[in-house]
Amino acid sequence: MRIVVPMKAVPDLVEEIEITADGTGIDREYLKFVLNEWDDQALEEALLVKEATGAEVVALGLGSDPDIDASLYTAIAKGADRAVRLTGAGEVPDTATRARAVAGYLRDHPADLVITGVQAPDDLDGQLPATLGALLGHPHVSVVVSVALVTDPPEPPAVRVRQEFAGGRAAELVVDLPAVIGLQAARQAPRYAPISRIRQVMAAGGIEQVDPGLAPGSATGASGLAVRRMHAPEKTSHAQMLTGSADEVAGQIVDLLRSRGLVKG
Amino acid sequence: MPEHPGAVALEVTRTVFQGIDLAGKSLFYVVSTAVILVFLYGWYRRVDKYRQGRPAGRGATFWRAVRGKADVGPAGRRDTRTVGTLAASSTIARRDTSAGIAHFFIFWGFIVAFVATVILTIDHDIVGPVSNALFGHTDSFFHGPFFVVYSLTVDTFGFAFLVALVSMAVRRGIRRPFKLGYGRAQNPDQGYSRGRYVAGDWVFLGLLIAILVTAYLLTGARILSQGDPWFTALTPFGRTVAEIYSGLGMTPAAAATVHTYLWWVHAALALAFVAYIPYSKAMHILVDGVNLLASDRRATRDLPGPVPGADHAGYQQISDFTWKELLDLDACTKCGRCHDVCPARTAGAPLSPRDLILDLRQWVDTAEHGITLLDRESRPDATGPLAPAGEVPIAGGVIPAATLWACTTCMACVDICPVGVEHVPLIVELRRSLVEEGQMDPTLQTAMKNLATQGNSFGKSARMRARWTKGLDFTVTDARKEPVTYLWYVGDYASFDDRLQENSRLLARLLHDAGVSFGILYEDEWNSGNDVRRAGEEGLYEMLAEHNIAALAAAGFQEIFTTDPHTLNTLRNEYPARGASYTVWHYTELLAHLLDTGALPVRPLGRTVTYHDPCYLARYNEVVQAPRRILTALGCELVEMPRNRANTFCCGAGGGRIWMDDSMLTERPSENRIREAALLDVGYFVVSCPKDMTMYSDAAKTTGNDATLTVLDITRLVDEALVRPAPSVGAMDVLT
Ligand code: SF4
Ligand code: SF4
Repeated sequence: MRIVVPMKAVPDLVEEIEITADGTGIDREYLKFVLNEWDDQALEEALLVKEATGAEVVALGLGSDPDIDASLYTAIAKGADRAVRLTGAGEVPDTATRARAVAGYLRDHPADLVITGVQAPDDLDGQLPATLGALLGHPHVSVVVSVALVTDPPEPPAVRVRQEFAGGRAAELVVDLPAVIGLQAARQAPRYAPISRIRQVMAAGGIEQVDPGLAPGSATGASGLAVRRMHAPEKTSHAQMLTGSADEVAGQIVDLLRSRGLVKG
Repeated sequence: MPEHPGAVALEVTRTVFQGIDLAGKSLFYVVSTAVILVFLYGWYRRVDKYRQGRPAGRGATFWRAVRGKADVGPAGRRDTRTVGTLAASSTIARRDTSAGIAHFFIFWGFIVAFVATVILTIDHDIVGPVSNALFGHTDSFFHGPFFVVYSLTVDTFGFAFLVALVSMAVRRGIRRPFKLGYGRAQNPDQGYSRGRYVAGDWVFLGLLIAILVTAYLLTGARILSQGDPWFTALTPFGRTVAEIYSGLGMTPAAAATVHTYLWWVHAALALAFVAYIPYSKAMHILVDGVNLLASDRRATRDLPGPVPGADHAGYQQISDFTWKELLDLDACTKCGRCHDVCPARTAGAPLSPRDLILDLRQWVDTAEHGITLLDRESRPDATGPLAPAGEVPIAGGVIPAATLWACTTCMACVDICPVGVEHVPLIVELRRSLVEEGQMDPTLQTAMKNLATQGNSFGKSARMRARWTKGLDFTVTDARKEPVTYLWYVGDYASFDDRLQENSRLLARLLHDAGVSFGILYEDEWNSGNDVRRAGEEGLYEMLAEHNIAALAAAGFQEIFTTDPHTLNTLRNEYPARGASYTVWHYTELLAHLLDTGALPVRPLGRTVTYHDPCYLARYNEVVQAPRRILTALGCELVEMPRNRANTFCCGAGGGRIWMDDSMLTERPSENRIREAALLDVGYFVVSCPKDMTMYSDAAKTTGNDATLTVLDITRLVDEALVRPAPSVGAMDVLT
């Protein structure tokens, strides 16, 4: 069995993110990029499936993502069998283009199972698994918290996945392979890869570079959506310190609640 | 062990086998030969075990020590020991004078007894038979003045030996100091028993005492049986026994019979002891001198790199250990000093450095079918160190992961161990294995990931590192662009922690006022890697060190000073192994210098304070005077805590502990320390390490001492005492 884990590098949220002069994107120049945390979960789940079944795990990244190599090497250090860097998807591909690049690769190098993060913090659109499923014509399940190969009966090959909903309810689904899974959280916290192992892997090289050509998509080539304007988040709240004796503070609270129309009288 | 000398009638000597017939003599020689073979076999088994270890690079250290040469640390304390240390039992006397004195007499008593036996053997079994064969008459040098000196020496040393042994028995049996208790810090689920340890201790002490007691009873009987010639005055203790015998009404004839019986009892005990040595804690007689002379504190300051040519990180099998480390395991005498001082053990963590060593010893012995007879732990189930070979990993199995992660790498154990056991490098090696397996606290993992991506453990952008300088009314020089005298290596805590940044600004202002040329590396300064390395993440340490060394190489400066003692240790002692040597100071050394030279004019503060020595400053790097010089210069009265200087007590933050959960502790080390200070009549708890500032401010609050005890960085005191030149507003206002 072959599992492909498409991964995305996103800006490290500890950085101060600035909007470009034209207001339609973020200034990527000095930003440090790190692996999308949901993709880290997806990789962990894939590695758990590998441990249970002996599957082959391939980590997949887009060459246009800054610092993606670090994530790909880390994936190998954690136990992925191979890492592939895709080129030819443009400078800053949107999710639809990203999906077409990945689908282009999968067309030539089919996978039994694709596990990827359910979303990424930079766009939060959660479209990659679904789009990928559509482009490949494979079933797709998102917001998954565990994946296991169905071993009884083995025909046709399938995985049993678990989706969690609000209120403590969960669903268990059996999905025929090949399939695309959007992973919310792995069964265990992503493992730690010691830096010495990552550095060994880096020294050995071994990321394969592939230009897959984009799979056919919509007429515009991308999602057809254009960013008109980006805004820094507005400060939505601020704390107001109430001072004085307990009675005075109580009075101020009552006044506040009244002035906001939260209590009557 | 020789019987004690007395004399035969006319000649000033005594008969070696008095009252023992030929059959008896033959039996004695046969048994002696067997005993020597048993001893040699045991010794061979031990040495064979150590030979499985890889090279330790300590042969030269050992031979230098034998020649009496010690390597001296940064402030004159010895990093290695010499035969003099050994001869004086001084490591044992450290912070336990009575044990040291007792051991001194046991050590020399034993050597005298041993040499005396060798002399007798040479005279009786070599000189005698050889001269007989060559010249037809049996020669002996065992008479006359030689015999007199011999008698007096053996008799007095023997008695001191006996008294010392008895005092040790009283200590162990009646006084029972905490450190001699064998309770484990980490309790196995199914329980354990260390009764055999206790038995081993008493058999050892008991055998020695019995050997000496029989020696005196024997000597007394001989002196009485021989009519007490004049020269027995030079055997004062043996003669006293003879006098007691005759006081009790024993006749010389009866004494001769008693002598024969006692001779056999004494000989049997002595031979049993010799055979027993390699199989028991008596082994320390042979092993510990070597271990002490081969020990080197530098290995803790500058940790060993990865095992050359290994395909795994850290230690997984016996052959990963160096011979010195395997020797360490056998060298431990269970004296409990490390157990006593360990902050992890004190805090209720499942770590005791003594237990760690004993467990590893037991693990090696389980795997190797070790020859120790008593002196081992028993458990109802074969878990941990008792598990069959290969069944559990060392790191995380033989030694539980929680035990290994509990160490603060404070070095108190290495510092106090009288026999030169080096616990800290071992713990780090085992942590390396845990890191390799990913067995670590999630918070530690997060810190490591932050360090790998941004060069700091705070998870803040590397570009924010110098943001603390924003509040200053001058720009701190960028040492990458402009050469400076001092490069200030600020460190993560002083740079990023909101509570410490004001202190960093204070220090910057002081140096600026004093006209010191200094600069920083801005975002090119990354964490030095001290704690990372001690947490066992060697690869990350290498990465950080490479980055920092490149950044330092690109900057222009003459010397470095650091705010953080942990950083100081790594820059000063560990980067040189990577080809980067600098002169590195702690900021207290720089401040003390500026106060001495008058660059910082101060008025006396007249405060009563106590000062906490950071482990990495005082114990690791012996910087203890500079902060005290500052306090004196500021006119502060320093009241020392009982544990000060090299005996300081850890705050609990080192070795990566600051990134880990400490909720399992019953009392945080920092709280223990604050309570120690609260017993003194002082209002200020002065620190000189950024981590200490956070650890102790918290601890003062959680122990409810924050109202009476103010935790202060020493910089703040200097700042308060500083006499700033009055602003020159006009001649009228200028005072002389
Ligand atoms: S270094 Fe300190 S914390 Fe670690 S075992 Fe030794 S005494 Fe205990
Ligand atoms: S390791 Fe050293 S200090 Fe600790 S118990 Fe053993 S001999 Fe004593």
